[in-house]
Parts: sequence; structure tokens; C-alpha cells
Amino acid sequence: MTAGSPLPSIAVHGLTGCAGELLVILENLENLIPYVRVSSFPFAQSKNEDDRPVDIAFVEGSVSQPHDLERLKKIRAQARWLVGVGNCAVWGCVQRDGCRKESAVAMFEKTYGDKSQDDVMPSTPLSDHVRVDVKLSGCPINSTQLLAVTASLLRDHLPYITSKPVCLECKLRENACVLIENNLPCLGPITAGGCGALCPTFGAACYGCWGPSEQPQMEAMSTILQEKGYEMNEVMSRLFAFGAPDELFERVKRTIPQVSVDTI
Amino acid sequence: MERSAIFPKSRFQEFFDLMQEFGDVFAPRRVSEKSFSFKQVKNPSEIAFEALRTILPPKKFFFQQRETIISYDENGVRETKPKVSPQVLFGLHPCDLAGLGIMDKVYSASPPDPHYMARRQATLLVGLSCMPDKHCFCKAMGTDSPTSDYDLFLTDIGEDYFVQIHTPIGLQMVGSKKELFSGSDETKSQAFKDFWTTRDQAFTSHFQSENLPAIMDMEWDNKVWDELGNRCLSCGNCTPVCPTCYCFDMVDVASLHAQAGERVREWDSCQFVGFAKVAGDTNFRPGPVDRLKFWYRHKLHGFEDPHGLPTCVGCGRCTESCPAGIDDIVSVVLRLQGKPSVLISDRTTGATNSDCCGSDGGCGSGCGGCGSTHGSTSGGSPGCGGTDTGGHPHA
Repeated sequence: MTAGSPLPSIAVHGLTGCAGELLVILENLENLIPYVRVSSFPFAQSKNEDDRPVDIAFVEGSVSQPHDLERLKKIRAQARWLVGVGNCAVWGCVQRDGCRKESAVAMFEKTYGDKSQDDVMPSTPLSDHVRVDVKLSGCPINSTQLLAVTASLLRDHLPYITSKPVCLECKLRENACVLIENNLPCLGPITAGGCGALCPTFGAACYGCWGPSEQPQMEAMSTILQEKGYEMNEVMSRLFAFGAPDELFERVKRTIPQVSVDTI
Repeated sequence: MERSAIFPKSRFQEFFDLMQEFGDVFAPRRVSEKSFSFKQVKNPSEIAFEALRTILPPKKFFFQQRETIISYDENGVRETKPKVSPQVLFGLHPCDLAGLGIMDKVYSASPPDPHYMARRQATLLVGLSCMPDKHCFCKAMGTDSPTSDYDLFLTDIGEDYFVQIHTPIGLQMVGSKKELFSGSDETKSQAFKDFWTTRDQAFTSHFQSENLPAIMDMEWDNKVWDELGNRCLSCGNCTPVCPTCYCFDMVDVASLHAQAGERVREWDSCQFVGFAKVAGDTNFRPGPVDRLKFWYRHKLHGFEDPHGLPTCVGCGRCTESCPAGIDDIVSVVLRLQGKPSVLISDRTTGATNSDCCGSDGGCGSGCGGCGSTHGSTSGGSPGCGGTDTGGHPHA
């Protein structure tokens, strides 16, 4: 950046999600504003330039309705960098897992009745539809990572985001292991870190809200939870609550042929 | 140098005050029902004298979990000077002293690591004797007595502590509070000898380590690696808890402010899939079996590098910290040596397991003894491992 040249622009959009990521970005706006111009942020401002190109588009939420998809394609077309923020955008989150249990249409009708004018489609992550340049998972995302990703992109660097497991962050904090000491069904070994091992730090089991770590050992995790006495249905439900992709689902299913997906 | 002295346990407060004169005191403190951690203590009552192993070993005081190495901005690049203040680590057992000895070798080798060395030089080490539990196997690794790398070492001889003085600064500590210490007499020297004899006989986990490097070479393709590796979660717990795992990752963290940022070093683990990944998406150790075997080899054989030494000190932390129960080093070594041994993976791989363990399929507590009927174990096994598989409760 040189003095006098316009600031790089950002846009912040929400599809189907809880707006947790939007809130994190809003909370960090004062850090961002000296370095970027917010061209669009419908959640936080009323005047938005939705039809102009932007340098970085942050997109929260999964694609769950046809108008989500239309919007996403438009955002992609106008953005130099598209950053998927939060578990919904990166993995599909709980709404995706819900769609695995019964069809999206059946679920929709149960909730809104059969007379609703809205349309629905199975909930999916952004990368099922468009190119996503950076995937920043979280539930919600971590502020430090958000700022680091932004800083990297402003310098035309792709940011370095690891998905080492929560266990690393837990051990770096020197927490006692809740999986071992308390026999809690902690998913830290197969869940991407970034949260700083928040739940285990307070004695609770990690429930996988950041999505899978890089190449998670699903089979071993399900073996170990079963050995601790957790029913396979519960194990599967925990493993997939936050939208883990179908291929992982298939891997676990192969280890336990007797379990029917319908029962989960 | 090696000298000795005695002080009464009843006057430990004075010894504690003496340590505080030389720096902030860090000692094991209880952090949960079963776990301990080296933390600062301001009062002897905070010290968990009963702690055998802390979650993280004392390497964290020198090779910190995460630290900034350099920072940069428009004016240039600057090395970050480590923040160092005098400190005394109290309550290190012989395995931890041996572990620090290995870390010292690695981090002091040319070019020495300035952060590690600065903190190490500002630190006094006061060891403390211990009695082994079922996971301790320092005797097998030859690290069961304090041989070096300490300033003072305290042996619990009942009413008193027997103090071995190893360094000039250790001598200075003792000399600065002469009224607390006395020389040993025949009874107390005998008590010291008796303690170490009793302790030597107290080990329940043991193996002959003389042939370890050769065994690790010849058993590289043993099926035990597949059986254990397939249970591995790749969680990496085994490496931060290891007193001698020294690997790290280095990342540049850019600041939003143009031209500024810092380079950060953070503990890494060879058990993570990205650790051995290189350009072109090639990975030298793509699967958990490759990674587990690699780690075992470093611990029990050593790398083909200038240090070239087995880096396991027998503290048992990995055994206790592995959620999958696969870091049961003693049992693995015995298996590789062709001796009777039971591994956690026998439960899932041995066809005869379910035969002898009944319908629970998982060696529940009712598992009495499979004797030599275990088809999957070499040399027969005393049981299904239902009572001692690394402290992990069974289903």
C-alpha cells in the first residue's frame, strides 16, 4: 500500500448460518478499518456496493437454499479472494448433518409445513459450488486467525492455516486429558485446532465444532470411543454433527458393517 | 565435583527459602485428580512431592511451547531476545534430568540455540528421588539415577534429605545456609544406600536394553507396527509430553500493518500428517503406521545423526498420555525381543481373543487369563491385558 492509493476492499456476506462469523468480523472491524475499505457488509451497514468487485469476500454460512447459491455465485464472480469463514461455509455444519438423517425437503416440511413458499436444497459447504481460496473454519472463527488471513491476503500471500488436532493446543496448555482421565468422548484427536482447546480447558469434551483435522483417523477414534463404552450410534452422531464430509462417514461405516445409517 | 550434606525434612521451609534466594521456584503442582504440572510455587505446601510425572516435562522452561524468534517491520529484522530471569526447578526425577541432558546436547550443539541456552544458563536444577510406578522404566534405559545435569539432588531418607551437590553453584547454595546443613554420618549414609537399593528393586516394568538398536533395525517390518499404527489417532500427544522430543514448526505471522510481522516457533509433532510433507504434495510418512514407527525408532534407536542416541529416558509419560494405549513402550520392546508381552492391539487383532474373553469382545475386567492360548502373541501371554494396559479403562 502506498499513500494516496485506495485501500483494498472487503465484503462480508452471510448465507445460511448463525451469524457468529459476522459478529467476529464486526468485533474486529476497528482492527481492519485502517487497512481496508468495507464495500459491503449487509449485517452491519445499510449502504452496500454489492455490484462492484472486491479484493476479499468473506462468506459465512452454508448453501441451503437456491437464493444462497445465486448469491454465492455472484459474490465469487466479483471477488478476487473468496474466504469461507466458519464451519458452515467450510464443512456445512449441523444443518448438513441434519440433511444426512432425512431428506432436506422432508425436514423442511416438518418445520414449516407443506404450504411454505420458500424453497430448500440439501445443505452444503461453499466449495461444493464455487472455488474457495481460503477455508477458515471455526465455530465461531478465531479473531487472530481472521486478522492473520486478512494480513496475508493483503500482501498477496495465501495464508498458512494448519489443521493440526485440538490435542496439540490442549497439550501446549498442559491440560489434563479429559479423554483419558475422565473417559469423556473427546474428539480432540481428530478435530482441527484453532480454538485453543477451549472445551477441554474447561473440562468438557471437544465436540468437533471446527471440523476434521488433516487426515483424521476416524476408524481409530471410533474404536477408542467404543472401547470406552460409547454406543456406535452416539459415536457416529458425535463424529458427524459438524458436517464432516461423506467420505469420512463412509470410512467409519466400513469398520462397522452392522450399523445402519438409518438408525443414526 | 560431588559432595554431600544432610538437612532435616522438618526444616524444608528453610531449604525452600534458600531456593527462592536463587530465583523463582517451579515445582510439580497438582492440576487434576491424576495430573501434575511444573508451575511456580511460593509456598512449600503447594508442591506435590508425590508427583511422579508432570503432564509436560521440564523442557518447556527452555524450549517454550510457542515463542517469537524474530520480528520485522519497515526498519528491518530484529532477533527477539528471550525474557530470562533466574529460576530454580525443584523436584526433577532422574528421568527428567536425563531428558534435559539430551535436550542440552541437541540445543547446545553448534550453532547453539540462543533462547534455549539463555534460559538454561539462568536455571538451577534441584532433583528429588522417587519410587517407580508401573509405567516407569528408566532402569531399562539406564537413566534411573542422577548422574549429571543437576545442581543438587535430594534423596528422601526418612527424617532427612540426603543432598548430593554436583556443581559449584550447588555448593554455593548449600554454603550460603550452613546452619541448615550437616555432614552425613554412618547411619544416614547407610539409609541413602538402602533407599537406592530398595528403589532398584521396586521396578516392575523392565527390559534388557543392550540390544535395543539392533532389535529396532531387525524388527522394522514386524507386524506389531501395523497393529499399533492402525489404532493410532495421530493426535500427537506422545511428542509434547516426551522429555526429549525437540521438533518445532516455524511460521511467519504477518501483521495487518504493512511490512510488519513476526516469526514464531511452536512445538510440532512427527505424528501429524503434515510434518513430513514436502513440495509436490509428497509425504515421506503418509500413514499413521509410518509415523508411529518413525517415532519409536527415534526414541529407542536414535537417528543416523551426530547425536545418534536413543532418546527415550523411560519416564512413562507417553504410555500414560496415549488415548489409544499404543505407546506401551515396555510391552512393545518385549514383543520385539520375542519375550512374553501383551499389547493393547492384541484385543482387536488376535482371533483367539474373543474366544477367551467372551462376548464382550474387548477384554473386560472379567478376563482372567488366556495363558499361552493367545495365538497372536509371541511366547504366550499372561493375560489379555485387562488389568494393565497403560492406565486406560476398558469398556
